[in-house]
Amino acid sequence: MMNSKDWSDKLLVTMINADRSGAAEIIERTLATGIEARQVIAEILDPAIVQLGRLWEEETMSLAQNFVASKIAEDTLLRCIPNMTAHPHSKGALVIGNIEDDFHSLGRKAVGLFLVAAGWDVHDLGNDVPAEELLEKALEVDACVIGVSAMMQTTALNIRKLRQLIDKRGLAHRIKLAVGGAVFNWRPDLVAEVGGDGTAHNAVGADELFMRLQAEVLRGKAL
Amino acid sequence: MNSYQRVMNTLAGQPVDRPPVFAVLGAYGGRLTNTGLRAIFSDASAYVAGQRALQETFGFDLVMTPFIFTAISEAFGGVTAWSDDQVPNMKRPGARAPVEALALPLPNPLVAGQLSVVLEATRQLADLYKGDVPIIAVVPGPGIMPSLITGMEQWMETVLFDEPLARKLLDHTAPFFVSWANALLAAGADCLVVTEGMATAEIAPRSMFAERFLPLLASTFAQIPGPKVLHHTGGRMNHNLDLLPGLDGLVGVAVGSKDDLAEARRLIGPDLNLIGNLDNLSFPALSADAVYSMSQACLRTAAPSGHYILANAGADIPLTTPPENLRAMRLAVADYPAVRGYGS
Repeated sequence: MMNSKDWSDKLLVTMINADRSGAAEIIERTLATGIEARQVIAEILDPAIVQLGRLWEEETMSLAQNFVASKIAEDTLLRCIPNMTAHPHSKGALVIGNIEDDFHSLGRKAVGLFLVAAGWDVHDLGNDVPAEELLEKALEVDACVIGVSAMMQTTALNIRKLRQLIDKRGLAHRIKLAVGGAVFNWRPDLVAEVGGDGTAHNAVGADELFMRLQAEVLRGKAL
Repeated sequence: MNSYQRVMNTLAGQPVDRPPVFAVLGAYGGRLTNTGLRAIFSDASAYVAGQRALQETFGFDLVMTPFIFTAISEAFGGVTAWSDDQVPNMKRPGARAPVEALALPLPNPLVAGQLSVVLEATRQLADLYKGDVPIIAVVPGPGIMPSLITGMEQWMETVLFDEPLARKLLDHTAPFFVSWANALLAAGADCLVVTEGMATAEIAPRSMFAERFLPLLASTFAQIPGPKVLHHTGGRMNHNLDLLPGLDGLVGVAVGSKDDLAEARRLIGPDLNLIGNLDNLSFPALSADAVYSMSQACLRTAAPSGHYILANAGADIPLTTPPENLRAMRLAVADYPAVRGYGS
């Protein structure tokens, strides 16, 4: 009899092969064996996503494969959690968006999907979002991390304004700044240059990053 | 030997006095002439003044026609986001979905908004430089063209999940790719650089490129009579290089900064030209000495076998790049013959 790891390995193969219908079939089969929906997410989908991240790190995955993988994650979530907003074990609220002047939404949307899959309450503000709006939303929903995306170096530099706003209002201990997008993979030094508290090289690594930043906030509150 | 002769001889595998050197500089011309980016890309004469200033200041072996893909998205009804410090971006695509894109008429490059500005700039560059400095035009490839009409996300979703519809849209837009490329050649461009995102490892796997986009390149290239270079669009190309020889009119490939130049030569064979592959994004933070050393390293690797042009990888070199870093590229090729006896 197949265990969760076996199913997860099979799901990973469908992600690598960009086989969305094959993935849906696997999920149906796992549910048919009596595995609970939440277990499918935690023990089958999530490990596959982690493995996918490793492949991305090795630069063996393309945007097309990653895009299909994010759709597979979305399909699985929609199948397993009919009411996404009623996630019983939310990790907390997050705000994400493309910084002002940036219109490259694909990466941000994939990040949002994987974060939802991981159990975060994600508030996605879309493209071309001013720094002020990102911060106000984070305060409104009590988010501990703002995730900002930029594809190009010039737009990435607009993130500095958000860093300044957070610092100026004395919120650096309460709200962490995650940055991401193609340009940060090419120029890792840019993370510090724009004042980011951390980055992930891809959508599947976002959960780990946001967990780490959340832990930093919580540690700060405990002191 | 002038730049035109140097580049054409290199492309043909003939002797040259030194390796040619390209730097992708469109917006940077505005920095030299103190002209805003919107003016540079909206006024053919202002753009050409920028290219003249670049040529006089640095003397690279090319002049470029405006590298502004929003001219195409606008021609299909898209909205452009302008910025003071970067080339414009597509803010909103002209079609919300591929089906809507299929209903859009193909623009006439001769009269459509910014496209006519690009053509006018090309004509003015030809008046100034024809036969002296190669006039290079950059066009988005036929496989990535629909993303300028529907946005990248819609296009990827269609490619991945609705192949028949993707095929229809490619069939719909391919004639525009051909007519736009031919219009640039007719206006005076000497060579076309085709940036095909679907050929890069970061966007699509090799199998997808080989099965669905390489045939499209083959069929469209055959309808464009000028020399063409396939460009990496910021990603890696080595995984596909062995598939490219034989494409109609293909004279070279611009490989990415993460592609191994020696491996690229092995994969593509001895007769096609390699162009690259300095990391343009690193330019603002590097010293001139570092740029010089990187340039020399590329030359040592790729120039001895000929058919090589030193160039930055990626798109426009960032505006914050110090001029001395650009001069360092130029100096590296000037020093190279003394080191290697290139072309002797």
